[in-house]
Amino acid sequence: MSTRKPSYANPKPCNHLSAYKLKYGSSGYKSLQKSLKSAPNGRTSVRIHETKIPRCSFCNGFEGRLYICLICSSVSCSNHAVLHTQLEIGHDLAVDVQRAELFCCACSDQVYDPDFDKSVMAKHMLDLPCSTNSADSIGERLCERKRLGGSGVVLSEFKKPEKSGFVRDHRAKSCYPLGLRGLNNLGNTCFMNSVLQALLHAPPLRNYFLSDRHSRRTCRKRTANRLCLPCELHGVYSAVYSGDWTPYSPAQLLYSWWQHSENLASYEQQDAHEFFISVLDGIHEKETKARNHTKDSGDCQCIAHRVFSGLLRSDVTCMTCGFTSTTYDPCLDISLNLDTSRCSWSDASNKPAKANGSSCSSTLLGCLDLFTKPEKLGSDQKLYCQNCQELRDSSKQMSIRKLPMVLCLHIKRFEHSLVRKMMRKIDSYLHFPFSLDMTPYLSSSIVRNRFGNRIFAFEGDESEMSTEFEIFAVVTHSGTLDSGHYVTYLRIQDQWYKCDNAWINEVDEGIVRASQCYMMFYVHKTLYYKANIDLRHLPVSTQKEAFQRMAGCC
Amino acid sequence: MSLPNEENAMSSSPDAQLSSHVFGDLLDSIIVDVASECHRIAKLGLDRNFEEEEEELRLSAQARVRVADPSNSGEANGKYVVDIFGQNHPSVASEVFECMNCGRSIVAGRFAPHLEKCMGKGRKARLKVTRSSTAAQTRNSRGNPASTYSAYSNSNSTNRLSNGASAVAGEEYSNGALEEP
Repeated sequence: MSTRKPSYANPKPCNHLSAYKLKYGSSGYKSLQKSLKSAPNGRTSVRIHETKIPRCSFCNGFEGRLYICLICSSVSCSNHAVLHTQLEIGHDLAVDVQRAELFCCACSDQVYDPDFDKSVMAKHMLDLPCSTNSADSIGERLCERKRLGGSGVVLSEFKKPEKSGFVRDHRAKSCYPLGLRGLNNLGNTCFMNSVLQALLHAPPLRNYFLSDRHSRRTCRKRTANRLCLPCELHGVYSAVYSGDWTPYSPAQLLYSWWQHSENLASYEQQDAHEFFISVLDGIHEKETKARNHTKDSGDCQCIAHRVFSGLLRSDVTCMTCGFTSTTYDPCLDISLNLDTSRCSWSDASNKPAKANGSSCSSTLLGCLDLFTKPEKLGSDQKLYCQNCQELRDSSKQMSIRKLPMVLCLHIKRFEHSLVRKMMRKIDSYLHFPFSLDMTPYLSSSIVRNRFGNRIFAFEGDESEMSTEFEIFAVVTHSGTLDSGHYVTYLRIQDQWYKCDNAWINEVDEGIVRASQCYMMFYVHKTLYYKANIDLRHLPVSTQKEAFQRMAGCC
Repeated sequence: MSLPNEENAMSSSPDAQLSSHVFGDLLDSIIVDVASECHRIAKLGLDRNFEEEEEELRLSAQARVRVADPSNSGEANGKYVVDIFGQNHPSVASEVFECMNCGRSIVAGRFAPHLEKCMGKGRKARLKVTRSSTAAQTRNSRGNPASTYSAYSNSNSTNRLSNGASAVAGEEYSNGALEEP
C-alpha cells in the first residue's frame, strides 16, 4: 500500500526565523500563549490588554495591521515594523495581532513555524469548551488510538489464489478485455443492468467473486435451500467472465432480488441507486448471518462493507461558545447535491433553452466542496449546546473520516418544483474528472482548515490510505423522473465502453465526458492499475458454463 | 477610500468622511485577512491544482460541443449497427429460458412482467402487501422521508430516476401499467 504524501509542506524558514529559534526556541511562543484568544469559529487572535486596544509604539496609530514583537512585546503598525528591527537588533519576529500569524518584519512577509502553530493549537484546546473526548474533535495525534471501524483493508486478501484455480487464460488473445458482456433487458430492468455492469468491474468485488470466495458449492445457505443474493451474484460474475459474448439474462438474480426486496419487486421503471443500496444490503445480510456477527456495519467484514463502506464525520458547532459535537456515521456511498454556483442566470427575455438543458455547469469538485462546506443551521433549527446549556444557533460541517476502497458518488438529480409541488429532475450538466484526489474532503483537511490551516497533526493525518482515485464506471441517465433510460460506461485499460443493456460498444472518452452522470464509481488508483494488469490472468470460473470461444474481431 | 457618489459630500460632512474611512479600514482588514489565508495555503502546499481543473473543464466543453453537433449523430447518439463482437440485438431480448418459479418458457424481454404475475406481485396482489414489514429492509437511512420505496405510481413521490427499455424501442414498455396477456 502506498503511503500518502504528507498533506502539507513544511516551508523553509527565513534566516531571521532560524536565528530567532536558535536563540529563543519556543519560549517566546509559550509566553505569548496567555495572550492568545480563541474564537468559536476556530480562529485565534492576540489580546494584549483586556480593555485597551493595542497601539503602535511609534505613531500611536491603531489602524491597519499591528504586530507584537516576540522578544520585547512592543507593538508596531505595518508602517513602523521595519523601524523596530532597525532600532532593536535581532527583534525581527513578530505576531500579527488580529490573526495570530508569525510575521518577519525584516523580510516583511508572513512566515511559518510548526512549533508556533502547535502552541496556538494547544491554547485552542485549552480554551474551547470540550466534551469528554475533546481530544478527538481536534485530534492531536495519539499513537495508541484505536482506529474506528476497520481502517485500511489488507489488500493481500485479494491476491490471486496461488493454486489450481488459476489457469493461464487463452482468451487473452482476444482483443477485448475479459468481462465485457451485454445484459438483456428483462422488461424495464436497465436500472439493474447499469448497476450490475459497474459492480462487475469493481476490482475488489470482482476479485472476490471470481476467486470463489462465495460460491454455490460452499454456501451453506444454498444447501439449506434459502435465498442467497451473493450466490446469485457469483452466478452473474461467472457468466459474464466466462468468455461467452452473447448477451446474458440476469433472470435468476432478478428473481432472488425480488424475493429479498419485496417492496421493490414490481415490473416498472426504478431507480438505479436504490437497487445498488438494496443489493449491497442483500450481500451484507447473508454474510453477517453466516458468521453470526452483529448487524453493526461499523466493524462489518462482509464484502459489501469491506469494499464500499466509508465513514462520514459530522461536526455541529455552537456559534456562541464554539463547543463542537462530533459524530461518525458509516456510509456505503455519498449522495451529493448539485452545485449550482457556476450557473449563469439569464434574464427573462432569453432564447429557448439549448440542447443540453439549462446553462448550469457544475463540477463534481464543486459538489464535494458544497458537501463539506460549513452550513449555518437556520434559527428555527437551534440545537442544544451542552456547554451553554441552551438552544443555540449552530453550524454543521461534514467531512470524510475514512474513504472506502471503491467510492460511489451519487448525484441527487431531483428537486422540489416550487410551481407544481412535485419532484422534478435536474438535467444540468455535471463535469466529473477521471482522476480524483479526495484529500481536501478528508476530516483532517476540513478540521485543519477550520483552525486556520495550522501545521499540526490533526486526526486522520496518520492514515496511510491513499486518497487518489481513478474512475472505472459511470452510470448515466437520460429522460425524466418517471421515464428514462440508464446506460453505463466502463473504463478498462483506459478505453471506454458503452454498456446499453445487450449492446457493448467502444466509445471515445468525449462521449463519456459529455454524458449526464448519475452515479460515478471510483477506485483507489493502485487497485485500478493492478486490475488492468490482472485482467489477463484472471482465474477461469470452475463452473460448467465457462466457454472458450474467442471474440471474432481480429 | 471614497465612493463616487460621496465625492461631493466628502468635503462638507465630517460624518461622511468618518464613515467612508471606517468602511475603508474594514475593507482593508478583510482583504489582508484573505491574503494572509491564501498565503498560508499556498506556502503549505494545500492549494488545488487549478491548471489541471481548467484543462478538465476545457476538455468537457469541447466534448459537449462535439456531441451536440448534428453532423456527429449516429454513433455519438448510440445508434449502432453491431456491437464490439459483431452482433446485432433486437429491441426486445429474444433469448428464451425457463421461469424458475413456474417452469414455463419465457422470452427474456418479457420475463419481468411475467415474473411479477407469477410471483403474485401483480397490481392487485401488491395492494395487499403491508408497508411496515418492508420498510425495515432499508438499512441505509438517507434522511429523506419521501424516499420510502413505493411500489405504487410514482407521479409525486420519491427521489429516484426511472428507466425504460432500450432507447431504440422505448414504446415497447409502458410505465408501470401492466396489461400483459
